[in-house]
Order: sequence, then structure tokens, then C-alpha cells
Amino acid sequence: MKTYHIAILGSKDAILGFKAIGVKPVSVTSKTEMLEKLEKLCDSGEYAVLLITEDFFAQGKDEVFELSKRPLPAIIPIPSHRGSEGLGQEKIKRIVEQAVGSDILDK
Amino acid sequence: MAKLNVNPTRMELLKLKKRAKTATRGHKLLKEKRDGLMKSFMSIIREAKDLRSTVERDLGEAFKNFMFASASMKTEALNESLAVPSQKMKLEASTKNVMSVNIPEFKSSVEGDFVCYSLASTSVELDGSLKTFSHVLSDIIRLAEIEHSAYLLACEIEKTRRRVNALEHVMIPNMEETVKYITMKLSEQERAAITSIMAIKDRLG
Repeated sequence: MKTYHIAILGSKDAILGFKAIGVKPVSVTSKTEMLEKLEKLCDSGEYAVLLITEDFFAQGKDEVFELSKRPLPAIIPIPSHRGSEGLGQEKIKRIVEQAVGSDILDK
Repeated sequence: MAKLNVNPTRMELLKLKKRAKTATRGHKLLKEKRDGLMKSFMSIIREAKDLRSTVERDLGEAFKNFMFASASMKTEALNESLAVPSQKMKLEASTKNVMSVNIPEFKSSVEGDFVCYSLASTSVELDGSLKTFSHVLSDIIRLAEIEHSAYLLACEIEKTRRRVNALEHVMIPNMEETVKYITMKLSEQERAAITSIMAIKDRLG
């Protein structure tokens, strides 16, 4: 088994806290910068989990989905410091719709 | 359904019959693959949804605390105290093959403590928020594992479903129709040959 790292992408204020618990913070300011860094991290092969804050995930959803077609790394949106905007649940909904055809988990 | 563009010969008929048989077998196998994928997908997607709710709630709390902490300290002081993290995250990853889809498996372990700063110069909220962050992290890793697996499975399910449908509704009916067409054509030729022989015999006799 190979050992990997975890990285988090987001605005500087939001991700600083993660630094203390052993997650590599990668601060980004714009969509293009985010996609550029994300692609670099994906290609480096050293990261197994890439966390990305919702505010940036919202800006480039389709690109991020395209990048996460590989088994590794797993790209996961997490709520930003502004709180959850429901994008994570939306992602689950999208996955279910893709697999089943309609959202069967929706109550 | 449209028939395939082939010459109505015995040779083609034999070839087509063989192809139709293979297609039927492939269709059955793919259908089974789809059902198997769906089964493993269903078993994790509910967990993924619940885990996501938990993670989002806990992270929201942690971020709120962290905001308070960073508000009560100077930015430079905060940067300085978090400059050299002492906690190291070890993440071992491997991939598991489920119905020819590679899904990730993570095993994480934590080394050291997150307190890498002087307790005297930082605010209490910082300790609290970092503690929550470090708690949530194991949940996040588990979430990453199953949510990503669910996504990969969903992609494969979609592909397999398309193949199954294409075989069931296009490929197989087309081939069957062509087989029928060639058989008809061949027997028609045979009948034509017989009648012409009969006509010749009549004239000679």
C-alpha cells in the first residue's frame, strides 16, 4: 500500500485551520487558478483525497466532475466557512440520478 | 427495424447467426453486471448521504469556532502559530475491483498532536475548533471513500445500462431481422430454381 496525502483547496481564511491537523492547504483565489491547481494535484499522484470548499466547487462543477473520473484522488466538496449551501447533497443527488434515473433518496 | 446491409448468401447467414448468438450472450452478461453494480451502489449510497449530513453539520460548527478564534487573534499571530504543524496524517490507499470498476479504499492514521503552538499566546477557541476539525477528518476520509466509490459506480452503471439497451433494442432485433430476410431470400431463390427446372422439363418432354 502506498501512502498518500490530503490537500484542501479554498480561500485562505477557510483552509488555514486544516493546516494544523496535517492537511496540506492550497489557497486559491479564482476559478482558473483553482482548476489549474486541482489538475496539478490530481496529476502529481501524491494525493488520495482532495477537499474543495463549496464556494469554489460551485464555480467549476462540471470540470471537477470530469477530473474525478479516476479512481484516485477522490475530490470531495466540503462546506466553506460561510456554512453549507447544500452543494454536497446536490452532488449525491446527481450521482443517484446518474445511476438510477431518478432521485430515489429524496423524501 | 432496419436490416443490416449484407449480401443474402448462405455464408453471411451463418456468420450472422453466430454474431446474434454472441450478442445475446453478451446482453445477458451485461445485464447481470448492471444488476451487480446497482446492488453495490445501493448499499453505499444511503450511508454516503447520511455521512455527508453529519460531516456538513460538524464542519459548520468547526468553521464557526475557527472564525471566532481567528477574530480574537491577530492574523500574523495565527499564521505564526500554525506555521509548523506537528500532526501528521498518514493515508494509505488501495483500489478494489468491483465488477471491473476500480474503487478506492482508504486507511488513515494520525501521528502526533494538533497542538503545535504555545497555549499562552493563542485563544481558547482555537483549541476547540482544531479539536473538532481533527475529529471530523476521519469522517471526511470515510465520506471521500464512499462518495467517490458511488460516483465511479454511477458512471459505470450508466455506461453498462446504455450497452444493455443498445444490444436489446437495436443490435439484436436488427440481426434477427437480417437473418429472417436472408432465409426468405434464399428459399425464394430455391423455389425459383425448382420452377424453372420444372418449366424446362415440361418443354423437353
